[in-house]
Amino acid sequence: MPHLLSLLTGPEDIGRSRWFWAAFVAVCILLFVYPFWLSEFEATNNAYYLLNVPIALGLALLWGYCGILSFGQVAYFGVAGYVYGIVAGNMVGNAAGPILGSLCGLTVCALVAAVFGYFVFYGRVQNWIVPILTLVLSLLLETFLGQTAGYQWRVGTVQLGGYNGMTGIPAFQLGQYIVTGYSFYYYVLIAVVVIYLSLRLLVNSRHGKVMLAIREDAIRAELLGYDIRARRLVVFVLAATLAGISGLFYVQWGNYITPSQVGLLQASLPVIWVAVGGRESLLAVLLSTCALNWLNYTLSSEGYQYALIIIGALLVSVMVFFPDGIVVTLARELPKRGWRALVGSHEENAG
Amino acid sequence: MSEPILRTEGLTKRFDGVVAANDVSISVPRGELRCIIGPNGAGKSTLFSLLCGIHRPDTGRVLLKGEDVTHLLAFQRVRRGIGLTFQTNRVFHRLSVRQNLSAVLQISRADRPDDADERYRFALGRFGLDPDSEMPAKELPHHRLQWLEIAMVLAAGPDIVLLDEPTAGMSTDETLQTGAVLKHLNSSGLTIVVVEHDVAFVRDVAQRITVVHQGRVFAEGTVDEITKHADVRRIYLGQA
Amino acid sequence: MDSFATIVSILYQFATNGAFLLLSALGLIVILGMMNIINLAHGELMMMGAYTASIAWHRGVPFWLCAILAFLVVGLFGALLEQTIVRRFYGRELGALVVTWGISLILSQGALMVFGPFLPAVPIPGGSVAVGQYSFSVYWLTIIALACLLIAGLWALYNYTTFGLQARAAMQNAAMARALGVDTGRIYMLTFSLGAGLAGFSGALFAPTVSIAPFMGQQFVAPAFITVVVGGATNVITGAVGSSLLLSLVKTPIGFVFGAFVGTVALLLAALVIIRLMPDGVSAVMQRWIDRRNRFA
Repeated sequence: MPHLLSLLTGPEDIGRSRWFWAAFVAVCILLFVYPFWLSEFEATNNAYYLLNVPIALGLALLWGYCGILSFGQVAYFGVAGYVYGIVAGNMVGNAAGPILGSLCGLTVCALVAAVFGYFVFYGRVQNWIVPILTLVLSLLLETFLGQTAGYQWRVGTVQLGGYNGMTGIPAFQLGQYIVTGYSFYYYVLIAVVVIYLSLRLLVNSRHGKVMLAIREDAIRAELLGYDIRARRLVVFVLAATLAGISGLFYVQWGNYITPSQVGLLQASLPVIWVAVGGRESLLAVLLSTCALNWLNYTLSSEGYQYALIIIGALLVSVMVFFPDGIVVTLARELPKRGWRALVGSHEENAG
Repeated sequence: MSEPILRTEGLTKRFDGVVAANDVSISVPRGELRCIIGPNGAGKSTLFSLLCGIHRPDTGRVLLKGEDVTHLLAFQRVRRGIGLTFQTNRVFHRLSVRQNLSAVLQISRADRPDDADERYRFALGRFGLDPDSEMPAKELPHHRLQWLEIAMVLAAGPDIVLLDEPTAGMSTDETLQTGAVLKHLNSSGLTIVVVEHDVAFVRDVAQRITVVHQGRVFAEGTVDEITKHADVRRIYLGQA
Repeated sequence: MDSFATIVSILYQFATNGAFLLLSALGLIVILGMMNIINLAHGELMMMGAYTASIAWHRGVPFWLCAILAFLVVGLFGALLEQTIVRRFYGRELGALVVTWGISLILSQGALMVFGPFLPAVPIPGGSVAVGQYSFSVYWLTIIALACLLIAGLWALYNYTTFGLQARAAMQNAAMARALGVDTGRIYMLTFSLGAGLAGFSGALFAPTVSIAPFMGQQFVAPAFITVVVGGATNVITGAVGSSLLLSLVKTPIGFVFGAFVGTVALLLAALVIIRLMPDGVSAVMQRWIDRRNRFA
């Protein structure tokens, strides 16, 4: 138990002090309690901000902790969503449907990632090839799904639906209990907290230390005796599975999915969330994902086009001015220089 | 005990028409401290990369502890007890000293030598490295970086280490200290093969010297034999 | 006579597929070969070229001039992008990928906002030519010829001009080139500008064959990236030509039998297999072959 605790509070993420953990627990309690003051609609909205956290954390793990950039995490999001829709949709009325659908969704995700990852990592390709090929996979998936409009494109009783997508996807069920509304919020919240803490354990563990080594200098890591191909493949599959979990939450939340979920625009979002928060910190990514999803949602109510331009501009600005991410930069600089120093230095520069 | 810990048979490697290693056959007995010298571009680093698996030879074999490892990947060879430091220092510069060292301690080897930990701790002590230091490695002075890399390689518990110009850029004192540590490690049973240019260092530590020139083994012998070797002088002065 | 026409038809398909891949990827490869970064805004630069061509054409500018105009306009814009944003990311490949993706978002969304969902189409110039039972588009034949001319022109540029010499020096060893007095900053800007201009030119060339919309760049992105991955960064010319030919060999028969989409999927699968065998791409293999010949010459 003490070992577990030390892993949890290890140094590979921001926030280690007792104050941090006290605040963490307080926020968790707050998140658990405040739906009592919300309508069911608002609670499900908040769940929407949370459900993208797993895919973002997976990308942070892959990119920030292991040095592998994937632009196509959304492909696994989509695969899991569609597979769940197919399996659960064919088993409507059967209480085991959603659970089986979820398992199938994640399994197919992991398999696709494993095969794809095998070619990429065991081929020892150059770094820039991975983001390109993962993106291509996602785009091809979108094109494929987009042309499945005809009636012949169905699995069992479930239509793939072409560009209009798949509708009527069943919600998640535990036994006879249908998870929706408030219970959906808690379902996602608990999952996100568990996933975050588990990943935090992972990055502080021995495996996490090796991931960092591979990220920093793969050849050196190999010459210390590590099979970098296998380790990269494992992290890649893990990240894909996390993306799949987000995909499952999404279809269980909205009961539909369209090919655009794996398209170019959607593919850019996890990269933006991770870049803005700071890829080398799971906590930063968790915060930025929630914040940006909230921002996106709020802006979309105004006008969808503007939301994406702002987000594109945000990405460019962050890459230029905060290359380590906004949250991570703040977390590193504030303790050193304090609020006053930051504000003061602006005044000095202006004067 | 009679089987050399490291042996090669006719190693040849071409890079786009340049013969970097030409029919190299060397044999390193267990427990030896061997120095490899030769003019720049002679193929010493290539030899190291062939030994530990970064490159595959065109022809020839590499035998580690009697086992043919020619077709094994680098990490598989490291797991069988060989370690390497690079000519351009390759610690994890952005990580702290602590992170550098803890990255290595994740491997467990069934046949790890009993005094592996002792050697590692000895090196840490003599090199003045604090395994809990959060200082980013890149802030270490150059000679400490070299020492850190050696410590990291030792942490993996190898039976033989290949050191590629470990004292490059070090002052005389630092070179002497490095030599002293290597000699002590060698006396505890660690086989060491060092590529070096520093004549004083080689004289101080080497039990046997292999001279490499234009990818070939040019000469081999004790320190005395090599320093008196007329041809060796000539190749260094570019007359061969 | 019939089999002759069929052979011509197969060659035509092969050549059009190859020209399509080559023109889609050329701008990317020029930039990749020099600065080792992938410009993810490439599709949007092609879109800009198509937009320029459409706007100019509908104002009465002859088509060939529209294409040249597209080259210049997008090339200038590329220079601007390079100076303001891209140059901060040399040496940071992954960062460059991400930032150019942000730029592509801004460009495509911006085009949607400013110009609306569609631009008026440009009709395909030229008619068709019949051989046996098949008819071939004169325009595509022109595109094939232009692709060959373009490659020849680039080859001449890299091998017979001062810029080309300096560019090749900078590609091999930037620090050494600087030490010898090459202004690598200027070379990088010109290269990025050239790559952008080529993207714009290709976009203009393809404009008559597709609908002109803010996200039209996307259909070129997948094939272009696959071509670049297979080509590799070692040598611009051999990478582009070798990769397009190799991939066209895959796509033509499969696309003929199963349709265009399956053809593109086959490209991705072929790319995965090819990089397993040649991790540094076709250009690296070709470069080794060239080096070996030179050494024994």
